[in-house]
Amino acid sequence: MAEAKELKQLFVVQRPPYKSENPKLALTHALASQTAEIYLDDGETVLPTIAFVGDGVLNALNNQKSMDHYGISSNENHVQMTLLIDLRVLVCKEDLEARGIDAGRLADGSALGADMSIEVVPFSEIQKEMEAADQLLFF
Amino acid sequence: MKLGVILTESKRTEDTFERLQADKLSVVLAGNGIYHAVIKENGNTSKVLDKAADFYVLTEDLESRGFTSADLVDAKIKQVNYDGLVDLIMDEHDKFVWL
Amino acid sequence: MATLTIGVFSSLVGSMSLDFAVKLAEAARKKGHDVNVWVSGNATMLSKKGQRSFKDYSSLNKTVESLLAEGAEFCACEACAEARGYKKDDTMENWQRHSMDWYLAKCAKSDKILHIGGE
Repeated sequence: MAEAKELKQLFVVQRPPYKSENPKLALTHALASQTAEIYLDDGETVLPTIAFVGDGVLNALNNQKSMDHYGISSNENHVQMTLLIDLRVLVCKEDLEARGIDAGRLADGSALGADMSIEVVPFSEIQKEMEAADQLLFF
Repeated sequence: MKLGVILTESKRTEDTFERLQADKLSVVLAGNGIYHAVIKENGNTSKVLDKAADFYVLTEDLESRGFTSADLVDAKIKQVNYDGLVDLIMDEHDKFVWL
Repeated sequence: MATLTIGVFSSLVGSMSLDFAVKLAEAARKKGHDVNVWVSGNATMLSKKGQRSFKDYSSLNKTVESLLAEGAEFCACEACAEARGYKKDDTMENWQRHSMDWYLAKCAKSDKILHIGGE
């Protein structure tokens, strides 16, 4: 039997939503981890974690109405789907506070049936995740 | 963690860089990031250079913008070409990120 | 020798990041490394065939063709390309088109990665 090998990736999202495609691409790439195994050997998996820092924390807000106004799925919805597939989503506590945003304004994964919730953590925790990750991808 | 960072903006919009920590940190100034290596704004060198790190500037991007090694504002900044950058990425650091 | 996977989102025209990615890929190949390049978002325009070279714009297709001939793998995000009207028939020879899972898997198989997520 092949040895299980899990590659840990940390996606760090630094930009606010919609003007840039990058935050959405970070989330869609994370969601794609579910099917990466078709290109991998038996037992190999890819496990992304998403960390929102700086203006990137604005992607994780609730009540986004981009479908109503731009006709595109919201980054909130993608965050919820990311939680639904049991990927960790971290939001930098200091960056939320610096923007005057209460944690109650963050996307709620349970609305889609997710067991996971957004974790609001100090940057020091995100730094630890950077060190623990096998690979870092900044979006 | 041995971390390499590529900075390509002259006016940065993120503040992740200031907060990053690594046992060994290298900063490669490429694209418009090279201006941190050659411009003194109001007589002051870029705050980017205050970071405890090894600094490199991509020669091709430096010269494309009209500067040479004589314009570097600090002797700690070393020039690197793509060949050298490959070695920095492949051999000398655990991870390399583009901010 | 080792494997480097580069991911890039930036457009061919209007950003020099794709130039950076291709030059880095070229330098890595010259040093004997295996190279994979993933283009997503606006970077998918790199995969479009029939590009005309002007001196005022970046032109990378000849370098890319050489790298492909040497065994480097180039792959465009299929959804990103289709969203921009780049069909399979519009794609340069020897390019691959896949979903984003291809990129994550290539990262998993690589010794080093560089993800160029900037504009």
